[in-house]
Amino acid sequence: MASPSRCVFPFIFMLFLVGCSSRSLYPLPNRRHNGNRQPLQTFRPYNIAHRGSNGEIPEETTAAYKRAIEEGTDFIETDILASKDGVLISFHDVYLDDTTDIAEHEEFINRKRTYEVQGSNFTGYFVVDFTLKELKSLRVKQRYPFRDQQYNGKFSIITFEEFISIALDADRIVGIYPEMKNPVFINQRVKWPDGKKFEDKFVEILKKYRYRGSYMSKEWLKQPAFIQSFAPTSLLYISNQTDLPKILLIDDVNMPTQDTNQSYWEITSDKYLDFIKEYIVGIGPWKDTLVTASDNYLRKPTDLVARAHARNLQVHPYTFRNENQFLHFNFSQDPYKEFDYWINEIGVDGLFTDFTGSLHQFQEWTSPLSTGERDANKLLDKIVFMISKFKTK
Amino acid sequence: MASPSRCVFPFIFMLFLVGCSSRSLYPLPNRRHNGNRQPLQTFRPYNIAHRGSNGEIPEETTAAYKRAIEEGTDFIETDILASKDGVLISFHDVYLDDTTDIAEHEEFINRKRTYEVQGSNFTGYFVVDFTLKELKSLRVKQRYPFRDQQYNGKFSIITFEEFISIALDADRIVGIYPEMKNPVFINQRVKWPDGKKFEDKFVEILKKYRYRGSYMSKEWLKQPAFIQSFAPTSLLYISNQTDLPKILLIDDVNMPTQDTNQGASFVILMLRKHYDYLCLSHIGKSLQTNILILSKNISWGLDRGRIHWLPHLTIICENLLILLPEHMPVIFRCIRTLSATRTSSYTSTSVKIHTKNSITG
Repeated sequence: MASPSRCVFPFIFMLFLVGCSSRSLYPLPNRRHNGNRQPLQTFRPYNIAHRGSNGEIPEETTAAYKRAIEEGTDFIETDILASKDGVLISFHDVYLDDTTDIAEHEEFINRKRTYEVQGSNFTGYFVVDFTLKELKSLRVKQRYPFRDQQYNGKFSIITFEEFISIALDADRIVGIYPEMKNPVFINQRVKWPDGKKFEDKFVEILKKYRYRGSYMSKEWLKQPAFIQSFAPTSLLYISNQTDLPKILLIDDVNMPTQDTNQSYWEITSDKYLDFIKEYIVGIGPWKDTLVTASDNYLRKPTDLVARAHARNLQVHPYTFRNENQFLHFNFSQDPYKEFDYWINEIGVDGLFTDFTGSLHQFQEWTSPLSTGERDANKLLDKIVFMISKFKTK
Repeated sequence: MASPSRCVFPFIFMLFLVGCSSRSLYPLPNRRHNGNRQPLQTFRPYNIAHRGSNGEIPEETTAAYKRAIEEGTDFIETDILASKDGVLISFHDVYLDDTTDIAEHEEFINRKRTYEVQGSNFTGYFVVDFTLKELKSLRVKQRYPFRDQQYNGKFSIITFEEFISIALDADRIVGIYPEMKNPVFINQRVKWPDGKKFEDKFVEILKKYRYRGSYMSKEWLKQPAFIQSFAPTSLLYISNQTDLPKILLIDDVNMPTQDTNQGASFVILMLRKHYDYLCLSHIGKSLQTNILILSKNISWGLDRGRIHWLPHLTIICENLLILLPEHMPVIFRCIRTLSATRTSSYTSTSVKIHTKNSITG
């Protein structure tokens, strides 16, 4: 009697353990409707939530990305860096000073360093000197003092994988737009086993979550993604690891590329564009380089957009912000006027914006998704209005 | 031979003079299409160009108003003050310092004064100390430093009549929205002959340009206009001179009205119908005196626990919706000056105040 009963209880206990910890064989509810999710819109320029909806919520946080999805974004954008222990994180600056409460963490006070980043020396707390666990103990704050400060100290830094989950968990198809940020700096300071580099780990994670396919292919439309970088060699390096569409970011006219030290003029020359167009689907320039500005007025457009379009390259300029100091006088402090100019006059293919809601609202009003009855009524209204002008007394 | 020729040449010359200086009998082109101009839209909320399109161009200038009309405004708005010689001008501040280049005019350096305006002292150059000619010699600048400064020094101050012409000359019907600005201050400092006041001259000019008619009447739709003021008595004063619609402006919660010194009202009254006489309600300076409940034709006032019946008060507006602030008791006092109140003592019972959570129009 003793022998069997000695086995029974552990056995029942083990069954209990197994039962509780195993996952059901069917997919969890939020992934079940994968076939029925509203697809990505592709008929009008892409609304790219630059670091999430960071006009309202501190950048690159789960809350900011969820807000952007709520507000109708097509792609959520992020900058990928790496922690000391090689975990890829969503964070924009290589240093923590401007957007976290690092200054209040006494335990890290001796981590301050001076590094050279893209030709200039910076002193501060660098992400590459902190493990993921330590980074997770920090809290993020709103970068700009004139934006809402109420969420300061509430959110933490997220990883690349957590960022991807936000997109995959959305109730409609939302694309991702991650950037290989400061790859030169990261590769200098962070080492991975097996001789892997930052770019390798980046693509590894994308593949792990089944991001693949060339632009507009069936797989791509299920999980849309653009890979962006300021460093051409990084894009070239991964070009045979993945056929996901790549975007070459272009900095201001006086900033050379961080890896090849090429000038703005060189990488926007016809010769270079002809070379790079085999590897990229588009460029992401700083918008003030596309149209020259003086006295805070936009003047004549340059020919970069035309030359890019001639080579079938998309143009996704950055960054659109609603605040007065970012709007040239042509636009009368009206971000919709700015959107109208760039979308309808210059003809860009995507816009990086801090204010996802504004761009979405503008696009919905001027080039809506839905058709049918609403349009018919609108047309009737229009006709009535036109006739009323000619009402005789 | 000599006599006739001596008359011929002067005669021909005179014909020439007369021919060149006379105006054609038909109306000039820009006024000819008056019957065919696109009418004012009235189906959606009015777009009122506050001081013209002053987000882009310095306020209350011809350029700012023309830009506003270009951009599709329904009404161009202005503030009317008066110069030393009694000419009504479009200008917002009683002093010139913030929006003109007065500081650069050495010839006016001794015109600096300190006056009391609405309870506070201001030191500067006041419009009422300059004749129209002198004001015209100044140049206007953009008030806010974060707006476009490129037009500074290019435009001058315009008169009320010039403002009206901009509206009348537009190629579609554009309304005007002038304000009787600081009437108390103006009437103290500027005197007109025949005992006329600022408000009289204001209406005079409107009538000269045939602005008339109650809200939405045929005449009004041809030349739409709203008259606005922060001073209730000014609006009441002109109420029998013109039936143009009037708007009572209400300042911030801590600002009493300049003429009746009544505690600022943060109550907004909406009229359900077409009345162009706005029912006024103020919150008294002391926290607890009068409570007024208005219903269709009867009104009660509760004054220090005693209820007054005010039967002579004609209620012109129906269905008043009153926005109650949460932290202060609501105090009203009707400013009808003509009615006498008849006191009757009732035992005070709990008085019901109808409140709504939102303003509906």
